[in-house]
Amino acid sequence: MKEFRILKFMDIFRKVFEKSGYDYFILRKILQVKLTMDGRRVSTVFNNNKKTVVDSNNNFLKSLGIYLLMGLMLIPFVAMNSNFIYQMSILFAVMMFFIMTSLISDFSSVLLDIKDRNILGTKPVNSKTLRLAKTIHISCYMFSISFALAGPALIVSLAKNGPIFFLVFIVSILFLDMFCIVLTSFIYLLVLRFFDGEKLKDIINYVQIILSLVIMVGYQLVSRLFNIVDLNITFVPKWWQFFIVPVWYSAPFQMLKTSEVTNTYIIFTALAIIVPIMALILYGSVMSHFEKYLLKLSNNSAKNKKVIKKPGQFLSNLFCRSREERVFFRFASDMMKNEREFKLKVYPSLGFAIAFPFIFLFQQIMDSGIREVSKGNSYFFLYFCGIMLPSVLLMIRYSASYKGAWIYKTLPINNVTPIFRGTMKALLIRLFFPFFLLESVIFTAFFGVRILPQLVIMLLNMLLINILYFMINDKYLPFSESFEDAKQGDVGMNLLLMFVLALLAGLHYLLLSVNYGIYFYMGIALIVNLVLWKCAFNIKAEKLNGN
Amino acid sequence: MNDVTVEIKDLQMNYGSNQVLKGINLNIHKGEIIGYIGTNGAGKSTTIKIILGIVDGYSGEVMVLGQDIAKDRTEYKRKIGYVPEVADIYDNLTAREYLTFIGEMYGLTFDKADSKARRLMDLFGIMDAYDSRINSFSKGMKQKVLIISSLIHNPEILFLDEPLSGLDANSVMVVKEIMSQLSRQGKTIFYSSHIMDVVEKISNRIILLNNGQVVADGSFSELKEDLQEGSLEQIFNQITGFDGYEAIAKDFVSIVEEV
Repeated sequence: MKEFRILKFMDIFRKVFEKSGYDYFILRKILQVKLTMDGRRVSTVFNNNKKTVVDSNNNFLKSLGIYLLMGLMLIPFVAMNSNFIYQMSILFAVMMFFIMTSLISDFSSVLLDIKDRNILGTKPVNSKTLRLAKTIHISCYMFSISFALAGPALIVSLAKNGPIFFLVFIVSILFLDMFCIVLTSFIYLLVLRFFDGEKLKDIINYVQIILSLVIMVGYQLVSRLFNIVDLNITFVPKWWQFFIVPVWYSAPFQMLKTSEVTNTYIIFTALAIIVPIMALILYGSVMSHFEKYLLKLSNNSAKNKKVIKKPGQFLSNLFCRSREERVFFRFASDMMKNEREFKLKVYPSLGFAIAFPFIFLFQQIMDSGIREVSKGNSYFFLYFCGIMLPSVLLMIRYSASYKGAWIYKTLPINNVTPIFRGTMKALLIRLFFPFFLLESVIFTAFFGVRILPQLVIMLLNMLLINILYFMINDKYLPFSESFEDAKQGDVGMNLLLMFVLALLAGLHYLLLSVNYGIYFYMGIALIVNLVLWKCAFNIKAEKLNGN
Repeated sequence: MNDVTVEIKDLQMNYGSNQVLKGINLNIHKGEIIGYIGTNGAGKSTTIKIILGIVDGYSGEVMVLGQDIAKDRTEYKRKIGYVPEVADIYDNLTAREYLTFIGEMYGLTFDKADSKARRLMDLFGIMDAYDSRINSFSKGMKQKVLIISSLIHNPEILFLDEPLSGLDANSVMVVKEIMSQLSRQGKTIFYSSHIMDVVEKISNRIILLNNGQVVADGSFSELKEDLQEGSLEQIFNQITGFDGYEAIAKDFVSIVEEV
């Protein structure tokens, strides 16, 4: 096992720990093991289907790098000199968001560890030491993440606003971290109080998805936000602001920079310091409850809810002709719905594909005004929806419970066609159509019903790309491979198809000016789709990869 | 008596309004292999977890090696080894890392733990995997690591929850023999399992729990005489009041045969 620098640093205080009644040797050992294991975990900010065999803290360092990059966005907020209470509030809000989400998505395994209880609880380790180890463990990650995030801003603030500002900034971050850790624990406590472990895992899963999505879209949005937000409004304290945590932390800076010391600011500052401390004390006293609820995580008392309708029955009957196809349609729908890891890998890119058309549209509107844009052809941005299809299609072969794929072998199926057909239909109907439909409705509302035929062509073209991608790529049975083996799809192939899509879109655009051109186009696209759809699924079982 | 290792007096435990243990009294002696059995939810694992100190909030008294575990919650654990039923294990670590870590938690030096673990792994025939991550292990290999980790500090009392699961027939024989030799050395072994045949053969005292109470306590031959049944399985069925297995099986098969 590796020696960690933080442990060497702790060694300096060895005497202090021992004097306070902690078993230092044990404490150090536990932390060493925990840190070693963390190095072998992958973080959500970095979930780009990598092999995760690197034996070091590399993964964590890499994700720190990403936080550092994100931190660059925060520089303007300390560099600007317009209105500190606003700009620092935004900064702390962003930090709070990232700290909370990364706590939930990457460190829930630390906060919610039930293995600890069985492994360490049965060893002669006093609970005081164990609790301290846990606290140090989480804190050192929180602090490294928050200082990576705030690092660039900190440096700029030192240069621009002086050392006192800098120090206040650091202290604020420490308190904010403390607040976030306790708040997250309380959220868990609350969820576990009323729901079971499965629900909590679902919530964690969604937070992970949101975090990945925000990181992907964040770059796009933040730069644009600057143009909108007007920072020159004077600050008028209102009662509700007492509940907005980031505002508390920005108050000291306002006082520092403008030397206007008002009661409100003093109260904010006091809240910023007192609330985390109080919360920590409160947390200490309910810790034992927390551990009791944690037990819920292990016993999944699966009470089944009454299923009133047979879900998916209607859709599968509507879209699938053969019985086997229907079976696999439902199977794939259920898998996609229940598999958390699948959602984690796929939903962010879905969200990305949804956000993209809007981001571009938004930019257009900013540039040339709503009236102008709504008359134009900017709805072509909807083609960006198509970029998600290949990655979703690629992921469908993976599953966390990939070992269950033996059922394919033992089932009396002589033909794999219905498996692929059913799965493909489920994927399109369950994942792609709802999003495309949503976007279409919004775009139609904006551009008018005149774009309806264009939307049909877009849909056909995207389906074409989808089926082409399926045909060109190696075939694997759905849900039959481990995520650990997941690799980035063939980038070249992906680019080629995107190029084809661009070409199709270009053709579409050209034909707009030809009379009835688009209807002709629509007809051809429909026919090509049908033909490809017919032959794409004639797959010989021997041609399958894997296993 | 000096050879009492675990003494339980009127142990009660509630989960909410649900009383899982309704007053258990037991005296366990040195060298006993206790077959600790009961239906699902009878309170077996709760008792064990209380003795291990991972479940709190019980009432009654639990003495381990003469010490009240409510008073000193830490030191007595040095004398206890535990193989949990679910393979809770830090499987991101290699076997070496895990076993030395556990050894050091029990107060062994790294070198001592390392050399013991290595030799024990070797005897189990999985020496090659000593430096591999545990998450790449098969179920049987994980089980062997768990067994080693429960014994590495030479405990006086052992709690084994389905210790044989996943092991092949040869390893099962080795582990059974280890248990009987350990008991001859004066160690106390709690053996809990759902496989009655093994419990019947291995244990010299059987404790049957039902609904949070001890309903049978004695050697297999004593129980057999008392209850006039041929096997532990039948004794188990009789005491837990389960006599409908034939009817259930019959209904089951008839549903299977519907097509």
